[in-house]
Parts: sequence; C-alpha cells; structure tokens
Amino acid sequence: MKTRAPAALAKIAVDSGASAGDEWVTVPVARLRETLQALQADGFTTLAFLTCVDHLARSDGRPPFSGPPDAETPIRFELVYQLRDLEGRRLLRVRTFLADRPDPTAPSVQDLFPPANWDERETWDMFGIRFEGHPGLTRILMPDDWVGHPLRRDFPVGGEPVDFSSDHEQWQTSPPTA
Amino acid sequence: MADEPADRVSGLILDPAPADAGSQILTVNFGPHHPSTHGVLRLIVDLDGEVIRKVTPVIGYLHTGIEKTAESLRYQQVVTVTDRHDYLSPLFNNHSYAMAVEKLMGVEVPPRADALRVIMDELCRISSHMIWLGTSGLELGAISMLWYCLRERDKVLDLNEEISGFRMHTSYIRPGGVMADTTPRFLDLLNTFIEEFPKSIDEFEDLLTENPIFKARTVGVGYLSRADALRLGQTGPMLRGSGVPWDLRKTMPYSGYEKYDFEVATDDGCDCYARYKIRIRELRESIKILRQAVDQLPDGPINVDDRKMLPPPREELDTSMEALIHHFKLFTEGYSPPVGDAYAATESGRGENGCYVVSDGTHKPRRVKFRAASFVNLQSTETMALRGMVADMIAIIGTIDAIMGDVDR
Repeated sequence: MKTRAPAALAKIAVDSGASAGDEWVTVPVARLRETLQALQADGFTTLAFLTCVDHLARSDGRPPFSGPPDAETPIRFELVYQLRDLEGRRLLRVRTFLADRPDPTAPSVQDLFPPANWDERETWDMFGIRFEGHPGLTRILMPDDWVGHPLRRDFPVGGEPVDFSSDHEQWQTSPPTA
Repeated sequence: MADEPADRVSGLILDPAPADAGSQILTVNFGPHHPSTHGVLRLIVDLDGEVIRKVTPVIGYLHTGIEKTAESLRYQQVVTVTDRHDYLSPLFNNHSYAMAVEKLMGVEVPPRADALRVIMDELCRISSHMIWLGTSGLELGAISMLWYCLRERDKVLDLNEEISGFRMHTSYIRPGGVMADTTPRFLDLLNTFIEEFPKSIDEFEDLLTENPIFKARTVGVGYLSRADALRLGQTGPMLRGSGVPWDLRKTMPYSGYEKYDFEVATDDGCDCYARYKIRIRELRESIKILRQAVDQLPDGPINVDDRKMLPPPREELDTSMEALIHHFKLFTEGYSPPVGDAYAATESGRGENGCYVVSDGTHKPRRVKFRAASFVNLQSTETMALRGMVADMIAIIGTIDAIMGDVDR
C-alpha cells in the first residue's frame, strides 16, 4: 500500500507503509524535527500523542518487532508520533528507532507541538528516553524519587522474588539503578 | 507578563498591572485533596493578591500503571483494565481498544454490534456529562444540580446493568463485537429514557442557563482563543467551545456514525459558559442519535463469526468437538493478531479518546497506549487561568472536565 506522505518527506523517509490501515513513515532520529516541521507545514498541525515502544528482544529468542536494519547496534526503542491533519482529515504516524544504548536520546519537539511537553515527560518517566531541548524533563506520573523506568520491558512487574521458581529470572530481575 | 497577548486575559481583571517589585507573590498549594479538583489534581499557584501569575499542574497521584498491566494480559483480558482509566467513560475506552484490536485482526463487526456500540456510547456520554454538570454546578454554588444530575445518571446506570450486568465498568464493548444483546426490558427502559430525558435537560437549563450567579461565574471566564485551543491540541468540548467544529463522530466517522443525523455543537464564546452550552447541546444531540439508533437497530449477530477470536455459542459445545477445541484454545491461550500496530480513536465526552496497540505476534500486546483526552486538555489550565482571579480557577478546572484516572492512567 502506497502512502500519501507529502513529497517533502521523499528524501527523509527511510521507509514507509501502512500497518492495519494506518499510514506511517520511518525517519532517522537525526532528521526527526525536520520531518515534523515539514509535516506541520503540510497540514498535520495536531499531535494526537507521542509515545515509545520497547522492542527488547523476547525471552523465547524470537526476533523483536521489525525495525530498519542497523548494522552497528540492535534497535531497542521506537518513538511514535501520531499526527492528525484537521483540515484534510488525515492521520500519519512518524516512527523513529533508537539503538540499545544506556542513555537513549531524541530531540524534543515541544516547541513545535506544545502538547508534546507532557508526553515527552511521560516518555522520559516511563522509558528513560532523554529529550534534548525540553525545558523541564522531570518525572510526571511516578514519584520523583522513583528508581527506574517502569514501562521498559526489563522492569520487573512486581511481587517478591521467589527463589527456585520456574521463571523468576525472566521477570523478577532487580530494577536498574538510576 | 507584559508580553502576554491581550486575548489571553480571562475573567474579571481587578489588577491588570504586571507584577512589580512592590507586589508580593504568594505560592499556594491547591490540592491534591481539594474538593473541587475532581480527584487528585494538585496545582501550584503563584498569587499576586487574588490574581493568578503562574499555574503549574502536578499530576500522577492516581497513576495505576494500567499500560504496564495491559502488557501482561491477553488481548481479551485487557478490556477490563481499559474500563478503569477514564472511569466516567468506560464504554469509550472499551470502544477505542476494541477498534484498535479489530484493525490488527482485520475483522469488521456486524451492523447490529455497531449500532449497539453507538447506543451505549451515547448513553455513556450522557452519564459522563451528568457528572460534569452536577459537580461543576456544585462548585459554582448550584448545589442542587448534583442531586438532579445523579438522579438522571442513575437511569443510565440502570440501563448498563440491564444489558451487561454491571453498572459502571461494564466491559460491554469487546474486540469482535459486544458482550450481550438487548433485552426487551432494556429497550423499554431506553425508550422511556429517550422520552423523558429531554425534559430533564430543560430543567437543568431552567436552573443554570440564564441564572445570573452562574453566568457571572462563567461568562468571559477561562478564555481560550481558537488559535490557542488548536495550538494546545485540545479536543472535545474544549476545542468546540473555541469555535472549531471538530468531532470525530462527524469528521472521521467510525462505527456507522455517518448514518445518523446530528449536529456538532460549536460556540464562539471561547469561555466556560460556551463550553457549558456545548455540553448541554451535546446531551440533546445524543438523545437524537439514540432515537435514530433504536429505530434503525438492525437485526443480526452481535459478534464477528470468527472462532479464532471469539468463543463458540454455548450450545455448540455439546455437539461439536471443534467448538470445544476453539473454546479451550481461546481461554487458555487467547488469540494472536499479526505483527503490527494500530491506532483507533473515539469521541468521548472529553475529546479524542484513543488507543494505540502494538502486536508482536504473541497473545499479549507488546504495548498498549491510551491517548487520554484529559491529559492533553489539562495542559491548557495555565493559558486559561493566567491573570484571572483565583476563584475563577474553580470554574476553569471544572470546565476542562479532567478525570484524573484518565490523566494519570
């Protein structure tokens, strides 16, 4: 399925397509702001939400959700920007992938889309993605003294560690230190 | 605040002069347990006398980790947690989630299921607006509003109970269709409600619409210009109250909303009173949609005919081995949508209530993200409250209609 992504993105997008009927483009993180600016000029003036997906490899050894091939480091985080064009009644999802490094970083877009301010704080809080240029990147939902980022797939879901249980190593790893 | 454009000023301005060295700024903690904060919203307010100089909302007091929980549940189990994030519009939450999963599975629900979804959505909108009207009236001095509104809301909860067995968190709309078909008593109650409710709306309007005290507290208060509303990504009555006719039911229809004849309420007032009028008009439009939906309710199944997604009917289990296998597989393992991601949104009483689901091909979602209307709408608090009076902030918070469960998830 061919997307109706604007022509300005032809040189930026590394991949595009549709998932379950939703159109998306993938761009390199370095050109994220440029992409969103071009799309904003094209009519996508509303950011419905932005969020992150953790593609940490599954414990059964199957490959993670598809991302663009990256020779150097494996992909871990995917940032998703869901844009809406109120005039043209279109939706477009911009995706960008971050490598599995200790301090994942992306540019902040809260000056382009003011609602992104809280969304980026939430994504920092939940996934530990650092948004460069954000005026106050602090925790928003979790307590200020919380350690770790709960929506990461390697954050334990809770409960007390039970020695010798069949799957305690898989889901009851201790939380990463901040 | 000298650089603030004039159209940002809201409410009665007693002291429009910018803060200078002679004035004292008092920082007040407003909430999180203040009765008028609609749950546990905390606002750090900088006051210069009674004039607001700065508002910083602090949220997270009702964070329950619903998105994390959803990752450890099977697709059909997630429905029960969707009920609980925006706890005043559980049907919309169900609906968004169900539509996202249906997109991933590539199934389309039968027409009767769509019509039942519309009926339950509109009832839910009414019950949500009843809570809003009651509590907002209560906060602005119209104490009796709460009891009249709760009385009407109870009738909607009775309808929920009749069709699903549950009064609030019904989990009625599920991926693949709806939970149960109508009963004759449900239709009787619904028809009575459709007949009687417009009279109640008239009563509410008699009490508030031209009430001088209510108007003094809301007209011109909480000014949010059209440009600001769009810039801040507002949806729902917040956006329509600033004159933008954006309603997903009309602009990007889902579940057959294009078949119904209704109007999108907009108002150019840009203030709390405009948003009040919009919600009242939405109540009337909901009744209009309900009447049409009941009249045109199509016959047929209420679920998709897909044994890989929904269990077979009970009577088949006694005669068919395959039905038994399907039943067993569904309740032990669940179903696995193909790898991909989908976003679906409904127009709830608060705005765009969306759900983004990522599937990694297993029977549990890799990520479920709820796009909460309250979370976004609450970010306009400062724009509306700045340079207004502290008492007006009560009206402003009320008019945002933020549900803290929705904000914090």
